Amino acid sequence: MKDIARQGMSIKVESMDLLNSQIKMEAHASATYLAMASWCDQNGFFTSAKFFRKQSEEEREHMMKIFDFLIDAGGSPFSPEVTGINHDYASIVDVFESTLDHEIAVTKSIHNIVMKAREVGDIATERFLDWFVMEQVEEENTIRDILDMISVTGTEGVGLQVIDDHVGNWMD
Amino acid sequence: MNTIYRTTYYTLYQATSDRCFYIDFGQKVVRISFCQLLAIRHKVLSISIEDHFDSEMNKHGLEVLQLCNKKHLFVLNTLEILDLKELMEQGFLHMGLSATPGVLSA
Repeated sequence: MKDIARQGMSIKVESMDLLNSQIKMEAHASATYLAMASWCDQNGFFTSAKFFRKQSEEEREHMMKIFDFLIDAGGSPFSPEVTGINHDYASIVDVFESTLDHEIAVTKSIHNIVMKAREVGDIATERFLDWFVMEQVEEENTIRDILDMISVTGTEGVGLQVIDDHVGNWMD
Repeated sequence: MNTIYRTTYYTLYQATSDRCFYIDFGQKVVRISFCQLLAIRHKVLSISIEDHFDSEMNKHGLEVLQLCNKKHLFVLNTLEILDLKELMEQGFLHMGLSATPGVLSA
């Protein structure tokens, strides 16, 4: 008997389901960073606003990368519903700490898909996610560095202005 | 046609010469492509069975399913939905595209 299903799709459905969840997570991250850009702009952190706007675009690119992979693999990507975006932050430190928490959650999710792909023998998905694993190391490192810079600079006096100016160093 | 998996109410077939699948729903047999089969799986596995036991979430314990780009419409009860979930899970397992039944958390 010819295997029509296998001819139709190159990855396991478990991977497809988890990658669809990841699409949703990346879309949520993109919307969250856009909300942060708005907060920064409204509170006078104009460089940080540009930084988060760029982060938002990057998260959407990640989402589309997964979307395209699912199409290439013969799977069925779903356009995600994004709700529950937080627009309230206590301070610029709160914004960056929330960002780091978000990035850690994304890293955990990516690792979980890698482990599942390995468990079900889905080598294509596992190899596809290699780029995301390394990207997450870089993303976490960027936010950690910014938080370290904030810690060294301090938020007293002109500290907040210096912090916002320095965020520009991580935009390239 | 080759039988992939049979449950109490439904049967999933593969038609090799037509390069498609068929699901026998009892009252009618539906021809589906692989992409449509993936879409049906998503719809069926996304149904919350817990809602069927909550009169506020699902008053009558019924699901209206539109399949194959609104070509077919089915009204199924709780037992039929459970049976269709089994058909999807076990069907993909038997086709070798799934290693474990279930998943779909999004």
